[in-house]
Parts: sequence; C-alpha cells; structure tokens
Amino acid sequence: MTDLQLWLSAVEMGCFFGMLALAYYLIHVGAGFFNFAIGPYAMMGGLCTSWLVITYDLGVWPAAATAVAVTIGLAALTELGVVRPVQKRSGGGELPALVAVAAVLFAIQQLAGYVFGYPTLPGQSLATFDPVTVGEVTVQPSSLLMIGVALLSFALSAVWIRSTRTGRLLRAVGDSNRAAALLGLPVNRIRLIAFVLAGFVAALAGILFAPKAGVNSLSGLAWSLSGFLAVVVGGTGSVWAPLFGGMLLGLVEVFLPYYFGGQAHVYGMLFIALLFFAFKPQGLFVRTVRA
Amino acid sequence: MTTQTSQPAAVAAGRDIRRVPGIGGLALGCAAAVLILLWVGSDGYKQTLVTSAATYALIALGMYVPYLMAGSLSMAYSAYAGIGGYAVGLVSAKTGLPLAVAWLVGPIVAALLAVLLGLVTRRLSGFFLAAVTLLFGMAFTAFLIDAEALSGGSGGLGNLRPLNLFGWTPSHYQMVLGSAVVVCVIAFLLDRLRLSPWGVIVRTMRDAPRAVEAAGVRVPVLNLVALALGAAIAAVGGGLFTYSAGSITPDTFTLNIVFLAIFMPLIGGAGTPWGAVAGAVIAVELTLNFPAIETSGTLLLALGVLVIMLVAPRGVVGYADKLRTRGWALLRKEPDRG
Amino acid sequence: MAEEILLVGRGLTKRYGGVTALSEVDFELRAGEVLGLVGPNGAGKTTLVDLISGAQAATAGELTLRGSKLTGPASRRARAGLGRTFQYPQLALELDVRANLLLGRAARRHATLWQMITGAFVGALRPTGAADGAAVRAIANELGIRDLDREAGDLTLGEQRLVEVGRALGQDPLVLLLDEPFAGSDARGVAGIAEVIHTVRRRGHAVILVDHNVDLVARLVDRIMLLDRGRVVFDGDPRDCLASPQMQSVYFGSDADDDDAGDGSPKAEVQDVRS
Repeated sequence: MTDLQLWLSAVEMGCFFGMLALAYYLIHVGAGFFNFAIGPYAMMGGLCTSWLVITYDLGVWPAAATAVAVTIGLAALTELGVVRPVQKRSGGGELPALVAVAAVLFAIQQLAGYVFGYPTLPGQSLATFDPVTVGEVTVQPSSLLMIGVALLSFALSAVWIRSTRTGRLLRAVGDSNRAAALLGLPVNRIRLIAFVLAGFVAALAGILFAPKAGVNSLSGLAWSLSGFLAVVVGGTGSVWAPLFGGMLLGLVEVFLPYYFGGQAHVYGMLFIALLFFAFKPQGLFVRTVRA
Repeated sequence: MTTQTSQPAAVAAGRDIRRVPGIGGLALGCAAAVLILLWVGSDGYKQTLVTSAATYALIALGMYVPYLMAGSLSMAYSAYAGIGGYAVGLVSAKTGLPLAVAWLVGPIVAALLAVLLGLVTRRLSGFFLAAVTLLFGMAFTAFLIDAEALSGGSGGLGNLRPLNLFGWTPSHYQMVLGSAVVVCVIAFLLDRLRLSPWGVIVRTMRDAPRAVEAAGVRVPVLNLVALALGAAIAAVGGGLFTYSAGSITPDTFTLNIVFLAIFMPLIGGAGTPWGAVAGAVIAVELTLNFPAIETSGTLLLALGVLVIMLVAPRGVVGYADKLRTRGWALLRKEPDRG
Repeated sequence: MAEEILLVGRGLTKRYGGVTALSEVDFELRAGEVLGLVGPNGAGKTTLVDLISGAQAATAGELTLRGSKLTGPASRRARAGLGRTFQYPQLALELDVRANLLLGRAARRHATLWQMITGAFVGALRPTGAADGAAVRAIANELGIRDLDREAGDLTLGEQRLVEVGRALGQDPLVLLLDEPFAGSDARGVAGIAEVIHTVRRRGHAVILVDHNVDLVARLVDRIMLLDRGRVVFDGDPRDCLASPQMQSVYFGSDADDDDAGDGSPKAEVQDVRS
C-alpha cells in the first residue's frame, strides 16, 4: 500500500463517518437531541442488503431498496413509537431520551442478530465496473461510490435546508420544539421528516460502506460513536461541518493504526472525544446566533 | 414507597421492626433469594445462572448510585467490573497475597479510576458523557488486549487459586450462596442510603443541582464520590464472577452488559435498588436460561424494555408496590365497613 | 444601636458581553436587618442575588461577610453563612416534602470531601436521625407546611416556594436571600414567609427580600433598595422609598417626577408590621 492509497482509504472512511454525522445532524437540528440509533440504522441497511442477496439471491439493487425502506421504517418507528411518547411524558428531559435511544439501539442490534444471524456478512457492491487505476492508486468502484454519494447527500441536504420551505422549518422547529408548536408550526411532521431523512442517509451509508470490511449485527454501536464524534468535532454550525468532522476521524481511524498498531485508533477516538468534549463541545463550526 | 413515608416515625417507634428503613425490601429480597436457591439446588448450570445474576445485579446496583440517584449516565461500568475481575486474576497469578485482598484492591482501584474519569468528564452530561464513557469502555478492552504482560492479552488470566478465608475454603455452592448474600446486603444498604441524608442530597443533585450547591455541598465533588461508590460496587461483582468462572478475558465484561445494566432498573423499577436486582434476575433468565427461543431471549428483553418504558415506567417493583399500596388501602377499609 | 455589619458589597458589577446587568452596586447589611430589593423586571435583582450567593461570577466588585472576604463557588459561600431560594423553585420533584426540607440541614454535615465519603457509609448504616426529624417538623410548623409525605412535584408553586424557604432556613443562614418568594403564594404562604423573616431577624441574622410587589415588601422590611437598569437609584426607609421621585420615575416613566410629583405616592398603604 502506498501512502496515497491510505489517504484514499481515509477519505472513504471520512465520507462514511460524515454521512453518519449528517444523519445525526438532521435529527439534532430538527428534534434537538442526538439519536444514538444512527449506527444501528446503518448496520441495518448494510446487513439487510447482504442478507437478502446471500439468502434469497435477490439482485443488489432491489435488496438495497428493501433495506433502505426497512431502515426508514425503523427510523420513523423510533420517533413515533419511542422517542415522542417518552419525551412527551418526561417533559423533554435529556436522560429519558438518552435511555430511550439506548434501548432502541440495543433492540435494533438484537433484532438484526435474530433475523439476519450473528456472523459477519460480506458487503454487496452496488457498482460493478472495474477498479480504476490513477497513477499508483487503485480506486475500487465501491470507494468511488461511497465518496460520490456522500458528497451528493451533503449537497442535497444543504440545498434542501437552505431553499425549501420544509428545510427552513427544520431549523425553526429544532431551535425550540415548544416555541415552534406555540407558533403553530407542524413540529411533529417536521421531526418525522428529519428522522426519515436520517434513516435514509444512514442506511445508504451502511450499504456503501459494508463492502469495505463486511457488516454484522454489532457493527452499529461503534458506528454510532464514530458518527456522534464526527458531528461533535465538526459542530452543527453548517450542513457541511459534519463532513469535516467525519474526514478528521477518517484520518485518525486509518493513520493511527498504520503508525502505532492495531488498537491505536480506539485510544485516538477516546482522546479526540475528551479533547473536544472538554474544550470545544460546540464543535469547530459554530452557528452564529443572531440576537 | 412506604419506607420513605415512615422515615421520622422510625425514630418515634423506637424498636418496632416494621419501621426499620428498607426492611420491607430486604425481607422480600431475601425471600426471593431463598426461593431461587431452592429452585437451583445442586444443578451446576443453574448455580452458574445465580452467579451471573448476582454479577449483573451488582453492576446494575453500582450504576444505580450515579445513574438513578444522581442522574448522570456513565457507561464505563464494563471497565469497573473488569478491574474487579482482573484484580482477582492478578492477585491469584502474580502475587502470594491471600485472594481476599483482591476484593479490597479491585474496588479501590475501580473507584480511583472512576474519580479520574469523572474529573476528566466533569463538565459533560447526557449524550456527551454517555459517548465518552462508552469509548472509555472500548479503550479499556483494547488496553487489556494490548497489555499482554499484565493482563495475559486476549487469552486473559485463568487457573485461579481457591479463596482462603482464615483457613476456610468455601465450596462452589457456598460461593453461590455467598454471592446471593452479598447482593442482598448491598441492595439493602443502598436502599437505606437512598433514604438517608446523603441519599437525599445526591438525589436532589439530579433535578436541582443549583439547590444542592446553594445549600453548601460542592456538586462536582459529591458527583465524584457517587461515581466512585458505584464503580467499587461493580468491581465487587466483577470479582465474584471471575472467581466463580475461574478465569477472565477482555471479553468477559462487554458493553452489552452495560446496556443490560441500564435497562435492569427500568425492568425491575427505578424506585428502589431492589428493582435493579429484580431486573438482573429477569435479564439472566431471559438471556441465558430461555430454552424455548434461546437466541431471541435478548431480543425479547430489548423489546420488553421498550414496552415497559412506554407502558409501565415504574417497572416491575414499582408496579407491585402500587398494587400493594392499593391492597393495603382496601384492607384498611374493610374493618370500617364491618 | 450600632448593630454589627454582616454583609458588605462594594462595586458589584456584572456584564454579559456588552450588556451591563448590574453596575457598581454598593450595599451594607446589618445584623437583624431586613433589606428589600425592588425594581422592575430586568432591573438586576436576581443578578444581584446570584452574585452574592455565588451562582454567577461577578465581573467586578467584592463582598465581605462578617469582615472576611466572600468568594468562590456557591457551596463555599453557603457554608460561610448564606442561604437562598430561587426565582424558579429548585426542588427534587420526585422526593417528598420532608426530604426536600431535610436538604438544608443535611448539607451542613456533608460539606467536606471526607464527610461526603463517610456520609455514604453512615447513611447506609443509620439512615434516619431523631434530631433531623424534629428539626424538619419544627421548620414545617413554622411555615405552616402540612402533609410532609407529598411529593414536591405535586405541590402548587406557592407551596414549592414555602418548601424552598424552609430548606434554606434549615441551613440556619446568617444572611437569607429570598428571590421572589411571594409569586404564586396565597395568604397563608405570605404569612408563613413573613414568620420566617421575623425568626431570622430575632436570631440576629439578616434577610434580603426580592420581589416586585413593592407594597408587600415595604411592609416587611427595614430598608429598601430600588434597582433600575442595574443601578441603585434609592436606598433608605421603605416609606420614603414609596414617596420618592425615583420610585415615580422607575415605575411610571421618566417624566413622572416633573409633572406628577404632587400626585402622591403609588397606591401603597404602608402598614408597618414590624414589632
């Protein structure tokens, strides 16, 4: 492997983390909390696709479409069936919401294990063209797709939030759910849209990343943490900030093990988390609040 | 909780046994423990289930103090239980000290680590605290695998020496009995602690930290004490499990157990520490001893947690308590009518 | 008589970014004195209480309590002798009234790290004490709080305020800071709080009473400080305050002191309840 190949790998990893962070970002902007079930959504997307292809000989595209639909259903169920009722009862406290998403995270893991089995399944590549060689670097089609789709997701999200009515409402609703409800804004509908979009983005990320190292029912927790870390490092100041955070973590994830051995990235993640949570919990890109 | 309402009366009534704080829970807990032990008998597998349940219960009881009393969800408990376990393994393998020392050293080291982690994360709460402590748990596992000289790497430590308490070596069954007793004693003491002035201050920290600070107690410091206490209790559980299992590896205490430990009080009831114990028993029954649909026991548990959270937020013990209160009210009314 | 000066504030200032919430406030509080702090919303009343109690750090200025500097976090100041209530009651809503009242007393025994550690073990072994029960009942009686077994979350706002006052009283503070204790209170609540104020004064300690009900405050205090936009505009006798031009100007607009000076004081009927 050349250094350049490593950089490509880091960018790909960064795009994956970035997409997870984008899913966090959408829900955080719309509903004001961090949905730790993002990682399991991605796992669901990847694992369900592989399972359908391997078990039922389904084509990759229909399998992926089914997996995305299932994941979106789970995301909508998270909001409608768990988070909304729990928040309604507890009056918006942070701890009940946290415990609720932890329960969702755990339940999705177990559900996936029960339905799809516990072994790691190989990921299915959506692209079938030959690897492209640029100089010394060989670009796998799956990598190309990962990077392309990530950039596209961010671009579309940015456009959506900036130029559509619903997108602009997302911000208004997320600033204060209660105030928005008093103003007569459709808080519940907007929140649901945020969850559905997050589920879509996460499922896509999971499907595209699975070919890299396979996926099993327990992949979700580590992905949840990486995505959360990426959105914290990037900050919620702009739609693109999570991608930046993801890239930074991608570098950590790829280069630390390369230079310091197998487990170094775990220590690196912890170090970055402590560093950012302690000194810059608002992230690198802070949204300027107009008084 | 009736124990809570009878608090000042306990003093007035003097020696009336029914007015001793926490005695009701202890009586029920001991009765349940006896029933479980009778059910277990000499069945080796069922005995393992009891030690597992005791370990789960101790980890959940450890989390009870910071999580349900002080309101901060730290998830590094796999590490604390691991320290308790490795203390037993290391004292056995690398020192000539009596094995009992491990139960002193393990909890103390776990408490110190909890304080250290608590200091570093003192400004965090909610999602941020949960994420950092989860990452810490992962890093701790990584460390155990890396530090082969100390921890035996991924193979872990085995071949433990038998416990020797002043010349008495407990049998396997006595260890099972002992772990049940330890759980009952700690749950009873925590139940009393909850009602004590210390418990009142810590529980006020959850909803109204400003009030605690304004009353003269430094909130961050008391938080560290609560974390240390919880870590020490979890380490006791880790030690018990390791001794019963005869070995420990980096995978003995996984993040899965931490998640289960968050849910146990929800299942059992967050109102009293006995709820965590009840939840631990139910969790072990479902995850380890559910012959009909073995692999789905954990799924059933996870779904059950979601349902309980939505339908019966006070959990099993809370629900039973409500029934009991209603029953008492009915019984008290009967004589009037007659 | 020359009573001891308990609490002195000099040049207390608080700025948030470019906004000055409190500017150069000086005051003195004598033993046995009840000081009323009044002013319209946003005048800086709560900010001043927060600066004194340590809930917020002052931008400038210093405080002395009985001659020694009052600094550090709120807990240290509480141990030095400050007790306070909050504009929005801060109670443990899932605990009963008894436990909430106990906090003030219990806190004194858990002040140091060592006490916090040993307190856990002592608490587990001996959860209840006779002295605590009696003290809590005495405070409840004084405030007229009945049924100590109710959860604090089930109380009305007025009752919650009473419990907060009782909790602060349990600390036996040298200076008791009451931040809007009357909002939401009924006649019984007002009587209970008036009773507490008298008790504290009898002990030779002092009270700072914050409220925007000027009439009510004037009846209960020895001295009034009127705040307006972060500055002290009047400091003196309550009756003089009600009739003062500053009062007119703060509450009825800036031209009041030119045109309507003869119109008399605001409809206050100063009824002195001081003994």
